[in-house]
Formats: sequence, structure tokens, C-alpha cells
Amino acid sequence: MLLDGKSTVAQIRARAGSLPAKAVDEALERLLRSGHILPAVDVASDHIDAGNFFSASTSESEAAAATLRANGYFVRFAQRAAQPRKLAAGEKITVFVVEDDAQLVKLVRTYFQMEGMETRLAGNREEINAGLRQAPKPDVILLDVMLPDVDGFDVLARVRQHDAVKDIPVIMMTARATREAVLKGLERGATGYITKPFHIETVLTAVKTVLGLPGAPARADSEIKPK
Amino acid sequence: MNPLEELSAEYRRELPAKLEKIAALWSARRVPELHRALHTLAGSAGTFGLPELSVAAREAENYLEACGPALDARQQAGFQQLFDGICRCSIGAP
Repeated sequence: MLLDGKSTVAQIRARAGSLPAKAVDEALERLLRSGHILPAVDVASDHIDAGNFFSASTSESEAAAATLRANGYFVRFAQRAAQPRKLAAGEKITVFVVEDDAQLVKLVRTYFQMEGMETRLAGNREEINAGLRQAPKPDVILLDVMLPDVDGFDVLARVRQHDAVKDIPVIMMTARATREAVLKGLERGATGYITKPFHIETVLTAVKTVLGLPGAPARADSEIKPK
Repeated sequence: MNPLEELSAEYRRELPAKLEKIAALWSARRVPELHRALHTLAGSAGTFGLPELSVAAREAENYLEACGPALDARQQAGFQQLFDGICRCSIGAP
């Protein structure tokens, strides 16, 4: 399903392929209820403004992305920050990376450090709790779902219920690419959703987008491709 | 070689060990751990530039998910084919 900020419900339905129109409507209504899309008039009408979404174009031509796209394993979007953010001199963004695959952690940490950002790491429940309590509060959380002793969606729900951290943007970074998984993330308050495998540049773009940092894409659209 | 290329090279070097671990889990029919290992491989392989391996691992992961924790003989044969496909993809990895 492609939400590009301009399409009507009829166009979204037409592009949904074999998905029944009822399922598409239900998905749109859930996105609407969770605040991830805005109705230009009404969800029952033919105009929905998908707003606040992006899709990086950097990987469009790459074979890897094409292969994954063809197999239906490709989702990425991020909700743009309401306000742009300008960093003070010397201020650094802290990215809390919740991921238990050591090599992916190394990749994300190395890349974000090269971009001048701090990283804080957690691979299990105890480390997540410690990382969230640590000062300064992280600016953004990259959250895997399949962790050894806790479900990332449950972590997301708990973050959203906790006064001290509930406003931190959370980008799900997971191999779970089904429609149900994406909707579950949205319903629980995910600010973005990127499926593995990913292009590391896409993760950086998502972080910049949800934080309103310079370098976030100006174009607002997203792609949700169910399996 | 920049740091990201080094990480990618390291991933490829460690790939045979990952596959050996997966093979051992399959031999022991430790399905939940096998499922988790395939899930991790599917997520990481494409990120490090091995999309075919990623897709093959995802297919095997999905297959296991559909079969449930105890595979009958037909399902085991089906999984073996998928696992052989994973091995072929990794042999072809540059």
C-alpha cells in the first residue's frame, strides 16, 4: 500500500493489489485513529492526506532493495517532527539502539558516530531499563522487536505509558514486515518503522526526520508493502 | 577500507560460522532457536549486502513459523530444501 500524501482512497485501494477493499479501509481507519494519517475531509470520503511520511530514494535502483521489494519484505516510514530542531554548539544527539544482533549494533553505532551522534546500546530488558534511566534522556530510540527476553512492541507500549520517556520518538527496526506487525507498531505509538534488512542511510534519514534535524527529506510520503 | 566496509567484510568472514550454528540447530531439531537464528540472519544478511541470502533465510523462517514446533517428515524434507538454498546463497556470497 503506498501512501504518498496525495492519493485518494480510491487510488490507494487500486494499488493495494489483492487486498480486499474492506481490509484497506480498516487499515486506513486504524492509521487515522492512531494519528499517523490526517483526513482531508473524512476517512469515508475519497480524500486522505497521508502527510508526515517519507520514503528515501537513495536505494531505489539498488538490486538489494529491488530483490527485497519484489519479495514483499520492505517497509519504511517515519513521522516528521512537528518543529525543526537546531542543535546548539557542541550539542550531540543521543540515539538509543535496542538490538541484540552484535553486528548490526556495530554497524549502527559506527555509522551514527561517523555522523557525530552519540549511541547508547541495549540488547535485553535489563539494559533497556538502564539505558532509559541514564541521563541524558535519549533523543530517539531505535527498537528491535525480537529481543531475547522481551518483545519490542511491549517495550514500545511501556515507553509510551511512562511520563519521563513517553515523548521520545521510537523507530521500530525489525525484520517483522507483515501488515499486522506494522499496524501493531503504529497502534502502540511507533514514530517510524523500518524493516530489516535496511540501508543504514535510511535509518539515519528516519532519525533526522523524526527529530526535525537538517538533512531530513523535504518530500513526505511512505510505503507500506504488506507481505 | 572504511569502517563500514570493514564491518561488511567481517560479516562475510563470520558467515560460515553462523551457518554452521544454524546447521547444528537443525540437526538437533531445536526449532525455536533455529527460527530465531534464521530471523536474525534474514535481518542482517541483506543489510550487509547479501540480499539473496536474506530472502532465502526469510523463506526458511516463514516456513518454520507455518510448520510449528514439531515438523513431520514431509515438512522436514521441505525445510531441508530451503536450508540447502541458504547454503548455496552463502557459497555464492562475494
